[in-house]
Amino acid sequence: MRKAGLGLIAGLGAASGILSNPLFERVSASAWASSPKQPGRRWGMVIDTRRCPEGCTTCLDACRRSHNVPTFSDPRRQVEWIHKEDGRALLGTACATKQAIPALCNHCAEPSCVRACPTDSIFRRKDGIVAIDYHRCIGCRSCMLACPYGEVSFNWSDPRPAIKEPTPEYPTREQGVVEKCSFCSDRLKKGLEPSCSSQCPEGAMTFGDLNDPKSAVSRLLGSNETMRRKPELGTEPSVFYII
Amino acid sequence: MMHKNTLIGLVIVAMLAAAAYLATGAETRDASPAADSGTADSTVCIYPKEYMQTHHMQVLADWKEHAAHEGPDAFMKTPDGRRFQKDLATCLGCHDNNRFFCFSCHNYANVKPNCWNCHISPQDLP
Ligand code: SF4
Ligand code: SF4
Repeated sequence: MRKAGLGLIAGLGAASGILSNPLFERVSASAWASSPKQPGRRWGMVIDTRRCPEGCTTCLDACRRSHNVPTFSDPRRQVEWIHKEDGRALLGTACATKQAIPALCNHCAEPSCVRACPTDSIFRRKDGIVAIDYHRCIGCRSCMLACPYGEVSFNWSDPRPAIKEPTPEYPTREQGVVEKCSFCSDRLKKGLEPSCSSQCPEGAMTFGDLNDPKSAVSRLLGSNETMRRKPELGTEPSVFYII
Repeated sequence: MMHKNTLIGLVIVAMLAAAAYLATGAETRDASPAADSGTADSTVCIYPKEYMQTHHMQVLADWKEHAAHEGPDAFMKTPDGRRFQKDLATCLGCHDNNRFFCFSCHNYANVKPNCWNCHISPQDLP
């Protein structure tokens, strides 16, 4: 399951010898670039949880505002593109922090949601973004079952009345379709960074091209030990955490 | 009678022309600078008016697929060399100067496309 270029064994998991997969990994940019999982660009994100203060919701609010994400009060109907969750729940017991840290779609290189979708509504773009074509979605929710991270939300009712601060810049969704983080593909198209990373007051989120050895994300990955969510599943997330 | 034939002829010519654009690979791969989308020449529509009147649904369906799947690389090049980002916003960039542009015909023909269930219609804006 370990892929070339990834995973110099380090950290607790390996030291204790309990787990065969490295929980912490050190990505060497040159090794990564010499065996890319795909040619060209692969958008990814590195979240430095040490910089992310407890109680801050700037990124969550920015995301909600920029994509007309509805706010439903019933927790079973919540729609979220990004949320904050206890670090241990997210990254496992090797994660030292119990602080709430941001979690979003990992834009996996081997996305199980894509395999599950019967209509090809979720697909992986050639720049690594796992996108949803909302026009095609039939609302079967197979992707929600398949995603091991619970990052897909379903619109049980019309989301429009539940949008707190609507923006005309982005469409809404309708009842009966799923939605999730798009890595702000709409903003990337305009040459802007994702809303969350661009508005984080602490600079905790770094966005960039994982396949470019000179990008900020590659430099961070090369100089820090990072964790990904459930690496043992082989979904190859593109979102990395520095603990 | 004569009149009707000319009309049919025109439509056929327009359709052939459109087929020719599609066959020559309307979307270019050489990708991206997002700035291009902003500078599209908006004096004439992407296809002749007559063709758009009868076939805008097919054009929009094609744009929708490409825009959703290729994102920034979804471009269309017209034979006279203009480049357009395939995006509903490109259409609305010109056509929202008339808030009733889509609606007057659709109301008259009693068709109810579901575009505006999600996309923000010019009528929803102040
Ligand atoms: S995190 Fe879930 S929704 Fe996102 S690409 Fe991976 S499997 Fe799909
Ligand atoms: S809910 Fe939509 S996107 Fe998800 S698997 Fe079903 S059709 Fe595909």
